[in-house]
Amino acid sequence: MATSLRDPSTLFFQSEAIRRLIISSYWVVLIAALPLWWHTTSIERLSLPTSRVNAQADRQLRLPISIGLEDASLVGPLQRELDSRGQRWKGLDVTVAGAAANASYIVVNADNAALLGERRLQFPLRRATIPLLADALSDLLVPRLNSHRIAHYAPRYRLAFTLLNEDAVEGDAISSWDISTAITHQLSPLLDALSVLHNFTIESQVQFHAPLAFSPQPMSDGSVGLTPEDLTVFVNSAEWTLSSSVSNDPVLHFLVFVPSSSHRPMHILDAHGVPTTAESFLLPQWGGIVIYNPPNTERGVRPLSHDALSSILPQFSNQLLSLLGVAKLPPGIPSTSPLTEWQLDALLRRRAFENTLEATETLQSIVRLVDQIDNMPVGQDVRGDVLSALSSLDHIHIHSKTASALPLPLSLSLNTTLHHSATALTLASRAFFNPGMLALLYFPTEHKFAVYMPLFASAVIPLLATVIREVAAWRKQRREAAVAVAAAAQ
Amino acid sequence: MHVDDLTLPALVGGRVAVALATDLYQQLKYNHQLASPLTSYLNLQEGVFLFKNGVDPYFGGVFRHSPLFLALFTTLIPTSRTICSLLWTLSDAVGAWALVQIWRARQRAPQTSRDGLVAAAYLLNPYLFLPTFALSTCTFENTLTLLSVMFAAQGSVSPALLSAALLLQLSLSSILLTAPLILLLANSTGPVSQLASPHAFASNGRKVLPLVAEYVAYVAILSLASTLVSGSWAWIPQTWGANITLPDLTPNVGVWWYFFTEMFDHFRPFFLMVFSVHLLIYVAPVCIKFQYDPLYAAFVLQGVLGTFKAYPTMADIGLFLSMFAVFPELFTYLRHPIVTIFLHLHAALLMPLFHHLWLSQGTANANFFYATTLVFACANGAALTDCVWAGMRIAIGQPQDGYSVVQE
Amino acid sequence: MCCRRLAFWACLPLAVLGLSETFHEQLHIRSLPDGKVASRFSFSTILAGAHPPSPHNRSLDDDPQHYTLFPLGLGQILREYAVTEMHLTLNAGKWSYDRWGYPEEDGVGTGAELWAWMADGADATVDQRWLGLRNALAGLFCASLGSLDELRTTSPGFVFAPGALPDWPFPHAIRHASLPSEHVCTENLTPFLKLLPCKSSSGLASLLNPHRLFEADWHGMGLHVSWLPEEGVQVRLTFQTVSDPLRPSNKRDWSFGSLFDRTIQRSCPVASSSEIAVALPFRVPYTISPEPSLVDSGLAIFDVSQMEKPLDVSLHWPQGFQYSTSALAEAPLSIRRTLKGYTQDNGELSVLIKNDQDRSVDVAYLETMPWIVQFYLHTLILQIDGVTRPELLRNITYTPPVPHSRATMFQVIVQIPPRSTLKLSMDITKAFLRYTEHPPDAQRGWDLPPAVFVPLDSEPQRRIYAPTLLVDLATPDFSMPYNVIIFTCSLIAFIFGSIFNYLTRRFVVLQVPS
Repeated sequence: MATSLRDPSTLFFQSEAIRRLIISSYWVVLIAALPLWWHTTSIERLSLPTSRVNAQADRQLRLPISIGLEDASLVGPLQRELDSRGQRWKGLDVTVAGAAANASYIVVNADNAALLGERRLQFPLRRATIPLLADALSDLLVPRLNSHRIAHYAPRYRLAFTLLNEDAVEGDAISSWDISTAITHQLSPLLDALSVLHNFTIESQVQFHAPLAFSPQPMSDGSVGLTPEDLTVFVNSAEWTLSSSVSNDPVLHFLVFVPSSSHRPMHILDAHGVPTTAESFLLPQWGGIVIYNPPNTERGVRPLSHDALSSILPQFSNQLLSLLGVAKLPPGIPSTSPLTEWQLDALLRRRAFENTLEATETLQSIVRLVDQIDNMPVGQDVRGDVLSALSSLDHIHIHSKTASALPLPLSLSLNTTLHHSATALTLASRAFFNPGMLALLYFPTEHKFAVYMPLFASAVIPLLATVIREVAAWRKQRREAAVAVAAAAQ
Repeated sequence: MHVDDLTLPALVGGRVAVALATDLYQQLKYNHQLASPLTSYLNLQEGVFLFKNGVDPYFGGVFRHSPLFLALFTTLIPTSRTICSLLWTLSDAVGAWALVQIWRARQRAPQTSRDGLVAAAYLLNPYLFLPTFALSTCTFENTLTLLSVMFAAQGSVSPALLSAALLLQLSLSSILLTAPLILLLANSTGPVSQLASPHAFASNGRKVLPLVAEYVAYVAILSLASTLVSGSWAWIPQTWGANITLPDLTPNVGVWWYFFTEMFDHFRPFFLMVFSVHLLIYVAPVCIKFQYDPLYAAFVLQGVLGTFKAYPTMADIGLFLSMFAVFPELFTYLRHPIVTIFLHLHAALLMPLFHHLWLSQGTANANFFYATTLVFACANGAALTDCVWAGMRIAIGQPQDGYSVVQE
Repeated sequence: MCCRRLAFWACLPLAVLGLSETFHEQLHIRSLPDGKVASRFSFSTILAGAHPPSPHNRSLDDDPQHYTLFPLGLGQILREYAVTEMHLTLNAGKWSYDRWGYPEEDGVGTGAELWAWMADGADATVDQRWLGLRNALAGLFCASLGSLDELRTTSPGFVFAPGALPDWPFPHAIRHASLPSEHVCTENLTPFLKLLPCKSSSGLASLLNPHRLFEADWHGMGLHVSWLPEEGVQVRLTFQTVSDPLRPSNKRDWSFGSLFDRTIQRSCPVASSSEIAVALPFRVPYTISPEPSLVDSGLAIFDVSQMEKPLDVSLHWPQGFQYSTSALAEAPLSIRRTLKGYTQDNGELSVLIKNDQDRSVDVAYLETMPWIVQFYLHTLILQIDGVTRPELLRNITYTPPVPHSRATMFQVIVQIPPRSTLKLSMDITKAFLRYTEHPPDAQRGWDLPPAVFVPLDSEPQRRIYAPTLLVDLATPDFSMPYNVIIFTCSLIAFIFGSIFNYLTRRFVVLQVPS
């Protein structure tokens, strides 16, 4: 052109190659930075084994029970009788056999009275008593319990023994008690027997001023009475320092309450206001309370007498057994020891079922929760806990299948089952309550747009527009070149 | 003796006199526009004091200078105020001399009539002499930048790469300047202005690789020396890491501090990454576009550094503005120099005012100062984009009536 | 099973059969020269023969704990976190050493202060147990001790020296943290009283009336757990208060009714000793009622169990009160600490220590600051009457802070010549915090923990606390996060886009019609 200005298309830096190189250098850096974007803003959200968890819901735990009858002729009727109570034996495969050696429970004939031994029942075996035998076996093997009373399962319980003086004064106070020796002598055998289920930590304290939050009802003879409504509000948690704050294990409280001199003697009334002879009562899932009225002859600041302790401890042990879910023996069947193998086995089975069910439900809840909330992080520890819980559940089912095949001793088999179910429950709870999952629950998507858009929308649009134009120009160029080649070939 | 021969010594003499006579440092020591946490003389003194008393200065605290400064100020140079003022003024003088040498190399003449003007552009620039009076170590960074470019323009490979490696020890962001420096060393046409005649990079790639290797070797040796001086590797996260993680949110003239003060915790690592990558994304395009004149590419990248660096001071953009003196061919082609000048004037006058009103007087709030930093960034962006335009427009030719050159 | 029995008998944690527990309570009342009355309640329970819990025994969870007088909740915490010595104080007000002298209990720093000596453990580190201890005590006392995190925790082993440490192969470490802005109120007193055997129903603790205690000029409660080698583990609960009888009536006379609005109705049945000690006035006529059980070296001692109930001790001066303006400073060292500077980015920390004695005193000065205030150690100047005296500085121990994570610990030992005032000054800068780090009331400022001074020649070691300071930090505009993001991002994107366009677009020459 007629000007001293150069034609820009002849300039070196305006060539197509340079332009494309510059555009691609921008894009290379952008694409190389994408993994960094992912790394710096991603929430750790590992995948949970959803299908395995949902498959657990369809699995049923079945535990086998085999009963050996001394009298082989009654096997059939007994089996039919037991099967007719099907609902009660839910989850258990009960088989009655003859006097085989490898039955879990053996029933032998007794002459008149029934007697309970170690997995042995002496019962009059006659055709007429088969229904009674079936009832007795049902009560022994699958007892009915008030589930509201039983404390929730935990591998370790803290047993907190407290001696409460309602109002200790200079002349009249019970200042201490030899609870540790009493526990060692009277309670430790029980705790050791229960050690397959739970571990126990024991602690005790003495309180000197533990006022009641209400006034008990005065009776005509100068004593005071506690109505059933008063029993529900007896524990004055505000004033009595009972609970602890250190570990997560549940606490079962056992209180000895010594009323003040103006409230003695203190009786528990029944629904009609008549004093009963009961000295203790149980608070469901919480603990037990014994009311000790000291005799008038005692005075001064003194420790709790040994006689009193030895009468209180058995009440505590009964309350402990009730709270832990140990069933009472059916009437008419006495036993020699306070905790028989039958009761322990029934408790083990019950806890195993409960734990398995609850572990399965907790795992399903976790999976549903994580699915619903997109922002919830799932860390390595949660995933590990879920996988371990699933493997424990698998162990239970494998073990219950093989246990019926192999002649394992029943106690070992039940212990293993319970142990796995306890592990599964603990891990599932730990995964569900993991505090790391709470982060970032409340960062809405609109805010993310508001943060990203100003920089990236404005910066990336020219980049994108240029790329699109380049691609279109390149395509046009190719077409024109093809047309030119075709025209030249003609 | 040409009168221009005397200009540089006269200016240097004047500066030395001012440095010795006054103690402007006391007024300027807390000024956040002149010194950032990475360059402040107070922090340097603190680090030297801790080092002398046996406390590891990188164990925490405010010291974010390179260990080479520790070595310098504990063994060679005492930290008395007068000697330091002289040292800083000397550094400025060396920088001015280096700028004049660059100019002469570009003109391919041992002496020109404009030498004095170039020296004055450096020594009389308030963006540069105020940080020197405040004893901010960005003076050394500028001097090293100019020295490395000067050696590269003169063709001396090892001094150029050594000063570039030293510069990297002082400031991690100067890695942006490595690429044009190496291109300048490998360039066969030298620093002479080729803006009017763009051509492909006139050298083969075989010269580039040994240069890169030598640079990396110098950096490794200096890093090792720094580790030996400070006793452990803890200096790396404290000095270089500060540019990436921004632990100190003291206000400065850049755009990073308020952005990351107000940023949500969830996005903080992401945006730190974005801002760092944003600095790096300019290197390749500018070097490709101006491959025929790497000195000009270094000039543009210095402008990018001054605008978008993590802890900038006035001195970084002051260097960019002073280097305009080396490229007088641009002046005709700048499209909006008046706008740029007025924006700079606006920002430079209001920034100290609003800083004082916010922090000392308490009658303003942080938004006032933030707004002036935005204007400052606008001014720098205007200067930068104008340079890029002018550098390319030169190639087309003198402006002519009846024709206009635009981009489509 | 038998192994556990064996372990039960063989292993001795805090409480075992045969360990006896004793409980002593004491109230000490003295009149201060400016007419106020300082009372100090001290309730101490000693677990005779016990040893502090070792961190290596923590895994033996089955060991039982049986207590009668010792508080069970506290025993569980001590055992769980294997704490050898622990001190927690919750104070409100400013203790004026000049007018009131030294307090009976050393820990009078405003707000909450917790420090503990713990041994290095096998499975849990000292820091993990420190975290657990803070949270457990926060739950026990309803105080926000959980926020004494690593931003406020330091390890000043010299100033907070332990009493006695058991001779174990693994070393002990100290953790100290202070929260000066913690308010003390009834919610903290109630759990405090619950740790006592007799609660607030009988004995001296029945005098602790929250209405009167919390309107006193200064009040503070403390929990001190320590190991006495000859006796055993001791838990001491203290409550100190400075009340002003001059306020309601213009007379110095005080009685339990006027101080606490309560009297002692019953004595605690399980207390081994329960006594009230009243410091008798010197060379001034007075009457005290009822008659003390014994008078010993200026103290009237009342044995509460022997006295007639309801017990209301009162002290009466027939002459009126004359405030003495020429009274000497009660304490030999007088300390003033201020933060100077009017800007929000820098300032100067200035400490004035006045020595009234005739001999020179060596003082250790400890500062534990959060990272928001940054010291410049090279500007530390010691002056006496304007003359710089660098030789008075003995040694410096310094742990520099890490922004957003670690606190500063700065300790110097200075020597103060007789009858002179030493001025320590140091430049500081104030940090600029992130948007999310500011508290909700950001304009109020941040409370800085009190500085602790220890005169090195005092036996036993006394700690003097300087008052807390308030530092005012610069705040960003809290309403602007999205605005800032949009402004800055738009500007950057604009410049980026312009340069991109210039570099990639083609030049064309257009003919412009003239």
